[in-house]
Amino acid sequence: MLGFSELFHDLDGMTKTGDRIDRMIAYFKTADPEDSGWASWFLAGNRIKGAVRTGDLRQWASAKSGWPIWLIEESYERVGDLAETLSLLIVGNLEAKPLSLAEVVEQMLLPLVSADGMEKAEQVRQAWEHLRPMDLLPFHKLLTGGFRVGVSKGNLCKALAEVGGVQPAVIAQRMSGEWNPRTRPFSEIIGEPGNQDSTYLPFPFCLASPLQVEPAEIGQADQWWAEWKWDGIRCQLLNSEQGGMIWTRGDESAGESFPELLDLCPHLPSGTTLDGEILAWGAEGLRSFSRLQKRLGRKAPGPSLLKKEPVRFMAYDLLRLGGGDLRALPFVKRRKKLEELIRGLPDGFPVELSLRVEGKSWEDLTRMREESRDRGVEGLMLKRLDSVYSSGRVKGDWYKWKVDPFVADMVVVGAQMGHGKRSNLYSDYTLAVLDAHGELVTVAKAYSGLSDEELKEVDRFVRKNITGKFGPVRSVKPEIVFEVAFEGARASGRHKSGVALRFPRIQSWRKDKTPAEVDTLNSLLGYARMGEAKRGDGPRMDDAGNLLLF
Amino acid sequence: MKEPLVLRPEGLYCEAGDFYIDPRGRVDRALVTHAHSDHARPGHADYLVSHPCLPLIKLRLGADISVEGIPFGERRKIGDAVVSFHPAGHILGSSQIRVEVGGRVWVVSGDYKPQPDRSCEAFELVKCDVFVSECTFGLPVYRWEPEEVIHQQINQWWRENAEAGRPSMLFAYSLGKAQRVLAGLDSSIGPIFAHRAVHPFLPVYRESGVSLPDVKKPKEGDGDWAGSIIVAPPAVEDAGWTRRFKGARRAFASGWMAVRGARRRRNLDRGFVLSDHADWAGLLQVIEGTGAEMIKLTHGDGDPLARYLQERGVQASMLEGAGMRTAEE
Repeated sequence: MLGFSELFHDLDGMTKTGDRIDRMIAYFKTADPEDSGWASWFLAGNRIKGAVRTGDLRQWASAKSGWPIWLIEESYERVGDLAETLSLLIVGNLEAKPLSLAEVVEQMLLPLVSADGMEKAEQVRQAWEHLRPMDLLPFHKLLTGGFRVGVSKGNLCKALAEVGGVQPAVIAQRMSGEWNPRTRPFSEIIGEPGNQDSTYLPFPFCLASPLQVEPAEIGQADQWWAEWKWDGIRCQLLNSEQGGMIWTRGDESAGESFPELLDLCPHLPSGTTLDGEILAWGAEGLRSFSRLQKRLGRKAPGPSLLKKEPVRFMAYDLLRLGGGDLRALPFVKRRKKLEELIRGLPDGFPVELSLRVEGKSWEDLTRMREESRDRGVEGLMLKRLDSVYSSGRVKGDWYKWKVDPFVADMVVVGAQMGHGKRSNLYSDYTLAVLDAHGELVTVAKAYSGLSDEELKEVDRFVRKNITGKFGPVRSVKPEIVFEVAFEGARASGRHKSGVALRFPRIQSWRKDKTPAEVDTLNSLLGYARMGEAKRGDGPRMDDAGNLLLF
Repeated sequence: MKEPLVLRPEGLYCEAGDFYIDPRGRVDRALVTHAHSDHARPGHADYLVSHPCLPLIKLRLGADISVEGIPFGERRKIGDAVVSFHPAGHILGSSQIRVEVGGRVWVVSGDYKPQPDRSCEAFELVKCDVFVSECTFGLPVYRWEPEEVIHQQINQWWRENAEAGRPSMLFAYSLGKAQRVLAGLDSSIGPIFAHRAVHPFLPVYRESGVSLPDVKKPKEGDGDWAGSIIVAPPAVEDAGWTRRFKGARRAFASGWMAVRGARRRRNLDRGFVLSDHADWAGLLQVIEGTGAEMIKLTHGDGDPLARYLQERGVQASMLEGAGMRTAEE
């Protein structure tokens, strides 16, 4: 880990993006190419899967340190990061001969994946004997998967582009899709452009920023293309010389889960990439995201599932056609080519063109946007007519103009310490509303939405008002009332209240309200019916008012 | 058996001697372990502190309070109780207070650390029947390096900043930690400044024999801060006061810096793990060393330490009603 651990700690300590990029450049200029390959792979967010189970790791750390397992757990709760906890409990070897990153990965980490339980324990114990104290935290990070040091993929690409003398976008494309330093050596990542750049890979996705101003402030409505904001899975669907492929935003290949969409790929010209959204879509039309979830992560779905939970690809952009990169063309030109392409496809494939939402003025579009919930979409997307397809989030090109969320007042009944920046701070809250008998019933957990000052204030309150302990969760005297925003509600058998909220987050602290004034479960169930019943599969109630789940 | 000390709303109370230790509210007689504001509170009629604590508590609470300083180790009869003060190694003049009534001995540690610290008296282990221990850092993840190592880290950081032409801002509590940090600075690197809250205590430290470098007030500077270090209390971390030190790198010296989340939350460039409290190993070592049959824990979430001691056959519990204090150091 020589050089890499130093890089990790430096990056972790830095607060400025420019410093981080400079530090990475310095590393990649001097490090061994094999180390650089692995370092780029990890910094890009890739992880070695299945090396160890974290539960086992805690057991081994207990055996190594001599502290009982419950004390390891208590420590983890306080630190909020398992890799860091272990690094604070295990000492490491002060006299260790430094190993290179590639050595550690090839000889210590990768062999763990195929090792059995006993071997794993022994190999990790060996690693602890042979690593320097400063290696432990990055090593544990690589071991447990979560590797975040404030470096975005974009900044990594900038650093590598500087070292290799190529465009960041080229680096980004070479690091898309499934790769590792064994299949694609570092020299190919930073090397001169050549024919190894395959059309089989996705482009970095163009992302939209939330519209936080009045629409009139971004210009005339006729400079913008409006579409519905679909609530599905964003992906690129492509055909290349090596075959068809579906890439999600996490650069994961999703083709196996959606064979009916993969079948469409050979009908596209070779070297063609579409950008769009996979949606649950039945005979009656668009279905909710929760239906789509039944298809997620199910590789090679059987015929009955394909029939029961059909999907459709909603195409909205064309990034490459017949091998030619179209991303620098203005949106309207790409769009025209997209329409021609989709029109020319044979009938019978589950593919759709995302249509323009017509509106002459912002007033028209505002009215249309209000229909979003009824239509099962999240709001409107606004794309500037002359915008290029940029990599990542470029403000001013694409906006998401979502409908206002639902809100409800809820009281904090539980709290848990957070992770990362919020470790040792009660920052994760369990929230409750009143049921028909006036009892508090838990309906949501929320982690975000407060300012740093408010977080500290709530933390102080929690520490003084703990009423019980359930694992890492402390029950708290119900007193603090938050206004909580959420995107929808649906029936859930996993929650005692019978309702699960989608993406709940704290909107404001209602210091003017008492716990007796929070919303009722009935009003939330009202939202649940509203959100789902229109599509015919929502929750039903029996005569006693109990929720029927299936 | 009647215990020499009991817990009252105001704090630990000795009936035999009619006094409190580190009380809150207003009492007639307060024995105070050290001059930090969560131990030395204003408003009591009479104070008794260790002799080296005397000038510090006067700076904190006013020169006109009624206070007496007693030399470390001297036995004093108060009513039917015998009390004595023993160095706690937390900050200059910090004490553990030993209370003996009818042959039964309690030691109230206040805040303490057994690790060496060049800016205060060395911790003294005192045998007792009941030991009231702090447990601010009562988890094994807290493990301190020797202070020389941390001083080297601080000087190295300062040197790198100075070479890059940047000021260094180092946050440290104004009484105790600031002086400890100053005592370790290498004045050959550049000029040393400290916030005005730090200055009043410096002569007291120097007179007690603590060697400190030359420390200026920022208003004595010429406005060019490149290469200098500025020591300031964390209370001014976000204040406009820090803005004049343009381009400064910011660090905090505290035991809490052992955990990365605490550093990142404050958006600091560096965290130096330098604490005036005992680490986990220090707590265990002292608790065992006192030979006490009963351990009472205060300050911080003491549950893990209490449970760990119980599993090793030591009678340990939280001092009931003791406030949960974890944020300050």
